[in-house]
Amino acid sequence: MLFNARVQLLLLCLILTAQSRRQGSRKKRWSEPEQTLKPGRPPAWQFQPQYPSADGFTIPPLYKPKPSQSGLSGFIFNTSNMALGETPDAVFLVGKTRLENGMVNGPLSRKIVDGTKTRKLKTSHLLRVDEHDFTMRPAFAGPAVPVGVDVQVESLDSISEVDMDFTMTLYLRHYWKDERLAFPSATNKSMTFDGRLVKKIWVPDVFFVHSKRSFIHDTTTDNIMLRVFPDGHVLYSLRVTVTAACNMDFSRFPLDSQTCTLELESYAYTDEDLMLYWKSGDESLSTDDRISLSQFLIQKFHTTSRLAFYSSTGWYNRLYINFTLRRHIFFFLLQTYFPATLMVMLSWVSFWIDRRAVPARVSLGITTVLTMSTIITGVNASMPRVSYIKAVDIYLWVSFVFVFLSVLEYAAVNYLTTVRDGKDRKLRDKIREQSQTLPCTCGIPHTKTMMLDGMYNEADANSLAGYTRASMLAEDPSDKEEQMVVHLALDNESTETKKKGTRSFRFIQNTHTIDTYSRMIFPGAYILFNLIYWCVYC
Amino acid sequence: MRPGFGGSAIPVGIDVQVESIDSISEVNMDFTMTLYLRHYWKDERLSFPSRNNQSRTFDSRLVKKIWVPDVFFVHSKRSFIHDTTMENIMLRVYPDGNILYSVRVTVTALCSMDFSRFPLDTQNCSLELESYAYNENDLMLYWKNGNDSLRTDEIVLSQFFIEHFHASSGLAFYSSTGWYNRLFINFILRRHIFFFMLQTYFPTMLMVVLSWVSFWIDRRAVPARVSLGITTVLTMSTIITGVSSSMPQVSYVKAVDIYLWTSFLFVFLSVIEYAAVNYCTTLEEMRKMRRGKIPSTFNASQAMAFDGCYHDNDIELTPFPRMASTLASNPLTTQSQNSDLRPPEGTRLRRQRSVRENVDLLVNNSYMIDSYSRLAFPLSYLLFNTVYWSMYS
Repeated sequence: MLFNARVQLLLLCLILTAQSRRQGSRKKRWSEPEQTLKPGRPPAWQFQPQYPSADGFTIPPLYKPKPSQSGLSGFIFNTSNMALGETPDAVFLVGKTRLENGMVNGPLSRKIVDGTKTRKLKTSHLLRVDEHDFTMRPAFAGPAVPVGVDVQVESLDSISEVDMDFTMTLYLRHYWKDERLAFPSATNKSMTFDGRLVKKIWVPDVFFVHSKRSFIHDTTTDNIMLRVFPDGHVLYSLRVTVTAACNMDFSRFPLDSQTCTLELESYAYTDEDLMLYWKSGDESLSTDDRISLSQFLIQKFHTTSRLAFYSSTGWYNRLYINFTLRRHIFFFLLQTYFPATLMVMLSWVSFWIDRRAVPARVSLGITTVLTMSTIITGVNASMPRVSYIKAVDIYLWVSFVFVFLSVLEYAAVNYLTTVRDGKDRKLRDKIREQSQTLPCTCGIPHTKTMMLDGMYNEADANSLAGYTRASMLAEDPSDKEEQMVVHLALDNESTETKKKGTRSFRFIQNTHTIDTYSRMIFPGAYILFNLIYWCVYC
Repeated sequence: MRPGFGGSAIPVGIDVQVESIDSISEVNMDFTMTLYLRHYWKDERLSFPSRNNQSRTFDSRLVKKIWVPDVFFVHSKRSFIHDTTMENIMLRVYPDGNILYSVRVTVTALCSMDFSRFPLDTQNCSLELESYAYNENDLMLYWKNGNDSLRTDEIVLSQFFIEHFHASSGLAFYSSTGWYNRLFINFILRRHIFFFMLQTYFPTMLMVVLSWVSFWIDRRAVPARVSLGITTVLTMSTIITGVSSSMPQVSYVKAVDIYLWTSFLFVFLSVIEYAAVNYCTTLEEMRKMRRGKIPSTFNASQAMAFDGCYHDNDIELTPFPRMASTLASNPLTTQSQNSDLRPPEGTRLRRQRSVRENVDLLVNNSYMIDSYSRLAFPLSYLLFNTVYWSMYS
């Protein structure tokens, strides 16, 4: 019986030592003084700092430090209702201050423990990154992995006509499932990582087809987020600026609208390895409300998806982001159309100026031609060199033609005036020869000539010669006699020749008829052109 | 180490798909092209057992661990492999060790352009691929499918028309390193003339036509004709400057230069023509003043009234000199029977005129310069245009 008692005592001692060893080790870990615990609610400081291994990843602090009675400052990430002694999922403490019994919480008395020192963990690594070969895609040699894509467009930075491209900044999100990344979790909460994990695991290699330049923003660190859910679902988000080509059609410039697309595709994996799809259909594409461009109005953003075939590599899924832009016309109205119209109207002023003012009319015409030419050069400076005619070209060249024609009109007027002047002079001299025997009609005032033949002699008033008062005074009354005589001589001619002569004579005599008609024809034709143009293009 | 190290050369097939030609710059004499470059070779170290003979696809991270050919672009100025969102690299390994390695590259390469027929020119550019380290004994670069290895997406350039894409290969010798295989991607571009027609040729023609308007304006309108001539010269000069600003400064004359400078000469000559007309007119008046046709009280400045023209009711500048005998008693004009009055045009008395007499004829009838110019200038310009366009088209 004594033997049994000793055995039982030994067993009891063994059990007790085992218990105390366990409890002792726990006590070693928790070196803080004991605190009274509220039932069911572990104190904030009670968890030991646990850092993952050196080649792992750091978890960004998301929570502000909770003030606690012990003066402890630390971060608890992913708090859960843990019972005492249960190992937490991911916890680390930063800058913990330890208080000995009875110590006052002050800077001198604080002993800072290095929270970054790695300790041996009982549990294995969090994500077990090194156990798998992440150069292979999930479900390698199996079915295709479906990758959902979600895009939020932050801004459209610029649209360049000369380079025919556009620049866009967007948040690109990928969703897929990789079971190698699944981890046990009681609370089903996800873990978030930044760009440093990306190099270790597999991510889809989406690229932008037809992009000229693109980059992932890297200020202050790579703008990459990775969020891993306990069941292995992954959300991978990055912020990208991409400059992509957009074929623009300028035949209706500047009253045009352009449709541009941004195309996403996996570079390496074909349809059989990776299936790219829009996560929520058409709602996958969201835009900030504040997207606005100075020169364009964004009409529509929508998504499509298709398959693209490459003869050497196979079929790939391709996703499209399409948007339609309509150009604001106001700038071009102010910059191009309005000056061109003003120049044409200025050229019409020439028809109202006396046709004897030769330098005035010529310089007016020529300067408007020069200004139109400058406007045309200015517009083409900021445009690509396309091989078809643009709407603005049509307007500018027709206006140029109008201005040019006004110069030609004055050349015609001037030429015909000179011709008529020469004929006038010839006639006058002939009359002078013949009028030696005619009665003197000196003194008949100039105005009476109208009564003689019912036709105002405009030859006098409109001739190139003698408009100033001085030269009029210097005229001999015999001049007037000669002019009257011209009419008399004309009356003496045969009726037919007279009719013909007066008609053509009247036309040549009234060369300002061209001016009078031009005053109506030019504006009328230009207004008609404008009506047709704006109706066709609006 | 390359596959088959120490043994025979490894053949590497190349396949190119051109995605786009981004820009062709005359000023820098280069072009920018984006292409998918695919390499095919066999590396037995990478073979793996497989039941269904399917290939395995990897992205860029495997590339750093295995051997890949080091192809570079000769004469390239800048180039880069796109790396958004990951490096645009694909590696596909077949069970027997065949490898397909594909990259998306944008390269800016040099292209010597000849502008002697600009803008009616065609340019011949080429992109050259070569291995940097391995010469012909180690790496044989060849087009995988001959001329079909070169494929293009729909390439649309705004200013050019792509006539022809073809692939060729050759050997390049470097004196210090040996013979290398070089592959060429050649393409021929033809420029669209329309833009230059609208921007350069058409305004130039209009300016020349405008300068002819001056011949139809009365030659007594001095300021008008001079300002017309000068302003057309100014506009021509502006057009010339505008064209040269977007061109490299080459040392030979371009086709567009020939056209612009000849037109400039025409416009210039119309100004000179009016100077001659005006000079002859002045001389004519001097002579007539000396002969007494014009009263000595004639004041030229008074005659230039507000319109800047000579008011010459009394100055006889009409075509035919009058027979002096019939107009003896004109109170205003005195016809003097000058001995230097030549026989009128109508008479049959013709003899060889000496140079001095020709000049005299011209001076006395300065209208003739204008009349002849009205025909001569348009005709010669038309002739120049016919010759120019038939030569360059």
